Amino acid sequence: MAEKPAVVVPEDYLRNIEKKVEDLKALMEVSAIISSTLDFNNLMTLVMEKAKDVMDAEACSILLYNRDTKKLEFEVAICKEDSTTDILKKKVTLGMGQGIAGWVAENLKPLIVKDVKADSRFSEEADKQTGFTTRSLIAVPLVGRSGLIGVAEILNPKKKDFFSGYDGEMFQALCRQVAIAIENAQFHKESIERERLRQELEIASALQRSFLPESPIFKKGNVMVSAVNISAAKVGGDIYDFIEPVEGKAGVFIGDVSGKGVSAALYMAKIISDFRYIAHKVDSTAVVLNRLNTILSQAPRGMFLTAIYIIADIITGDLHISVAGHPPFLWITDGEVRVMSVPSGPPLGILPMDYPTVAMSLKGGDRLILLTDGVFEAKNKEGQRIGFENIVGFVKRHKDEEQLVQMVIEHVNDFSKGMERADDITMVEVKWSAI
Amino acid sequence: MEIEIVDYKGANVVVLSGDIDMYSSPILRKQLMLLIDKKVPLLLIDFKAVSYIDSSGIATFVEGLKGMMSYGGRLKLLGIPEGIMEIFNFSKLDRVFEIYGNIDDAFNN
Repeated sequence: MAEKPAVVVPEDYLRNIEKKVEDLKALMEVSAIISSTLDFNNLMTLVMEKAKDVMDAEACSILLYNRDTKKLEFEVAICKEDSTTDILKKKVTLGMGQGIAGWVAENLKPLIVKDVKADSRFSEEADKQTGFTTRSLIAVPLVGRSGLIGVAEILNPKKKDFFSGYDGEMFQALCRQVAIAIENAQFHKESIERERLRQELEIASALQRSFLPESPIFKKGNVMVSAVNISAAKVGGDIYDFIEPVEGKAGVFIGDVSGKGVSAALYMAKIISDFRYIAHKVDSTAVVLNRLNTILSQAPRGMFLTAIYIIADIITGDLHISVAGHPPFLWITDGEVRVMSVPSGPPLGILPMDYPTVAMSLKGGDRLILLTDGVFEAKNKEGQRIGFENIVGFVKRHKDEEQLVQMVIEHVNDFSKGMERADDITMVEVKWSAI
Repeated sequence: MEIEIVDYKGANVVVLSGDIDMYSSPILRKQLMLLIDKKVPLLLIDFKAVSYIDSSGIATFVEGLKGMMSYGGRLKLLGIPEGIMEIFNFSKLDRVFEIYGNIDDAFNN
């Protein structure tokens, strides 16, 4: 049998094939690293170290796009000096279009720069801060499902003057994996954060409930007060309270703390404690609000409280009312519904203020409906708010119903069906039962 | 929410658009506090393109107002759309903030 002729393969060709096989192996290793951990910082360092080795480069870095500031911020930088990442993280950010990374981010196109000195887009800021000298680089945009994530750069090939087109393709293939990894890690981090927040809000909601009166019904003499409070998932900081400040008087308090979440719940707890302390043995709604206003003026972050405080004589039906920036209340009397926008002051905790007191008198069968803004700011699926006028109209149509408050709540729930409740809903009803 | 800070005759104007709510107000707070920490004497807030503000947003301006009052600075709101003005009137916040129709009135008064 004749021998097969020997195939002569040029050595260069073989080396090229070997290099490509090595690169494919590296890509697979990167893929394995990516699926092995969701620890964002660890992952970025591992992947970029691998990228630096594969590309046989002196340094590499990742800048992440901050959607709030619309700037690129250094996340990882790997080179000889370990301190480089810290320096870059603290001192260097790039705007869109600024420097080569900024250009790549803005145009969403990769770039191979053979000589940075000859490229007017190059920003020397990072080099100045770190003492590193950039000669040549590849910059690739990291793009995920939700758009720009950041920019990856690889700097200074060790054994040649500049990167080749093949290097560019290889780095792009790596960066596609990096983009997926960052997105997955961010999603993982966000889902942990969401769960932590949900648990905190649950505690805040329980805390808020624990500070409300044990029973939602309060009866003293001819006054009957009842309340409905439905807490939003995000906890809106609504307050109500019933007390007997002095013998023969019933005190009814409703309020709404600015903001939402844990801070609103904690602040609500502080306010209700302050209110109970201040209102005890004080027969003046204005004095109570003035004192509360002084205490709350030290509130952090501009937090404030809108409130109504009513003191009712349980024998005569005479009322004294002070209002601090709270929505009007409704007075059902003589077969009509009156919107009571009485002289009042701004919310508590903002400015030094003397709150006015308004006097009125209830007759047999009269009802007052007090509410917080969560009632009329409820949104439907189309994004429309139900509005104060709508609530007033509903109350007018059903003013004689015994279960009026419950009906208003159902009306609001129907309107915002399918929507997460954005704010607490609180309604307090004061009924005068004497003839 | 979008925040843009522009100059008007040497005064800082914070031009806002979109919803100012519990999600966006921390970003707004950061920007306002940067200016207030520098003790700017006058800060104008342009509300023309604001679609909604909740109590977290209002608290951010209350904090800004208190901060500026401590060194005699003035915070002025301008161009508040009708729907948002109702919230300010409803809660008597129109007595707390200096409110103007347009930038010239806000700057000159």
